Parts: sequence; C-alpha cells; structure tokens
Amino acid sequence: MAGSVVGAGLIIEGEFTSDEPVVVEGTVRGTLFTAEAVSIAADGVVEADLQALSVSIAGQLTGNVSASSRVDIQAGGRLIGDVKAARFTIADGASFRGNVDMDV
Amino acid sequence: MAYASVIAGSAVIRGNVRGDTSLEILGRVEGDVGVTGDLSIGPDAVVVGTVSGARVLIGGSVEGDVTGTDAVVVADTGRVVGDLVAPRIGISEGAQVRGSVRTEGTSSARATPRASAEARPAPVERPRAVVAAAPPPPLAVAAVPASATPRPAAVAPIAKKAPPPPVIPAPRPGVRARKKLARR
Repeated sequence: MAGSVVGAGLIIEGEFTSDEPVVVEGTVRGTLFTAEAVSIAADGVVEADLQALSVSIAGQLTGNVSASSRVDIQAGGRLIGDVKAARFTIADGASFRGNVDMDV
Repeated sequence: MAYASVIAGSAVIRGNVRGDTSLEILGRVEGDVGVTGDLSIGPDAVVVGTVSGARVLIGGSVEGDVTGTDAVVVADTGRVVGDLVAPRIGISEGAQVRGSVRTEGTSSARATPRASAEARPAPVERPRAVVAAAPPPPLAVAAVPASATPRPAAVAPIAKKAPPPPVIPAPRPGVRARKKLARR
C-alpha cells in the first residue's frame, strides 16, 4: 500500500513531510506537507498548516491550507483557517471559517 | 501483518509519534515513537529517538533505546544503537546492535512497574546532591521567585565540579641560594 495512514489513536506532533498521499484518521499537530493528496477522515483531527496537491476534509482541520489542485470540505467536515487553492468546494453541512484565495 | 497506521517510505517526521495503535514505519522519524500496539520499523526506515511498542520488529535503523512491553526482535537487516529492553528479545544473524540488552518482565503488566521502580532513584538523587552542595539557592529564590530558580541550581554543580587549584610545591633553593641564606 502506498502512502501514509495516521490511524485512529495515533498522534503525530511535529513536522510531517512526504511525497506520497496521507490519510489522517488520528491526529496530526504541527505542519503537514505532501506532494500528493491529503484526506482527513471523519474522525481525523489536523491542527497544522497544510500544503498538498489536494485536500479532502471530512474531519476537523484547524490551520491554513494551501493546495496546488483543490480543497474540498465534505459534509460533516470542519475547517477553521485560510484556504489557498485554485478550486475549493464546501459541501452542504460542512463548517468553515476563514479566508479564501483562489488566485483570481 | 496489517498495521493500523503506516508512515510511508517518502515520509519524514520531525517530532513525536505516539498513540494506542499499531504502527509501521517505512520512512524516517526524528523523534520519539511510542505506541501501545505492535510496531514495525521497515528495512529502509530510520528512527532517531526512543522507540517503544508491544512487539517491536526492527528491520531498519534505530538510534535510541528500544522498549517492548511484549518483545523486541531485530531482523537481519536491522541496526540498533541503543539499549534493548523487553521480556523477550530476538536478534537475528546479521543484525547490528550496539547497546545493552536486558530481558526483563514476563508480561506487559509486570514489566511496567519494574521499569518505573528502576528509573526512580536516579532523578531523586540528583536534586538532593545539588541542594546539599549549594545552600545559597533558597535565598536567590526568595529574592526573584519566578525565573531565577533554575540558574543557581545549574551554577552550583559546576562550582562543585571545578577542581581545586593545583598545589605546586616551590622548588627547593639551589646550592648557591642555600649558601646565601646561611650567610645571612
């Protein structure tokens, strides 16, 4: 299996960099950089500045997000922080507080 | 075996990783790793920091102490610079280990209190020695209660450690000097 999985119950505190996809079902605090997609599962918690190709949020994210492709907040997902991405969607039922920069 | 969490081969973590899960590390972690489940450190993985888990399988490189509440196994590709502590320890042929190896405890329930009892005396003794050697700190603490506390304690052991000035006996007066003194 390719990519990292931060499973439920796992807590990573610090600087996390990767060239592969990252799935967060546990907790990540600090910074999270990856050249691939980040997926925050429903029970996942990220308290970090995040930079990735694309970001999908079904859990909680507190921090600024920068994606070279897209950011999607799924229903039930929660994002507090600024978003910088070319494409950005907020599903019905998602919560979001922050600024959006779509490079217009 | 399937691990609930995976740190991929390209991943680098500078910081601590902990939790109630099993974990497979294929990348690099510069920090302490502590999980309550099984822990696998893959052949190309590197951990610089202490490592603990239930069953710890080391196929990569670890620079730090390794504790297994159940077992520690160093595979033939494994390399450890640090101490190994677990009720069961395996070191495969070809593995490289530098450090002390201790098999202790028969289960996670028994190993934990023993380890904590052993760890206790060392930190208790150190502050005692500092207090005995340096009576002034309490005064300094009373004068500046907030931030000055650690400083006198840090200074005291240094003062205690400093060796006394070397005692160099004066050279004996030479023959001429002795004659001079005798004349006076």
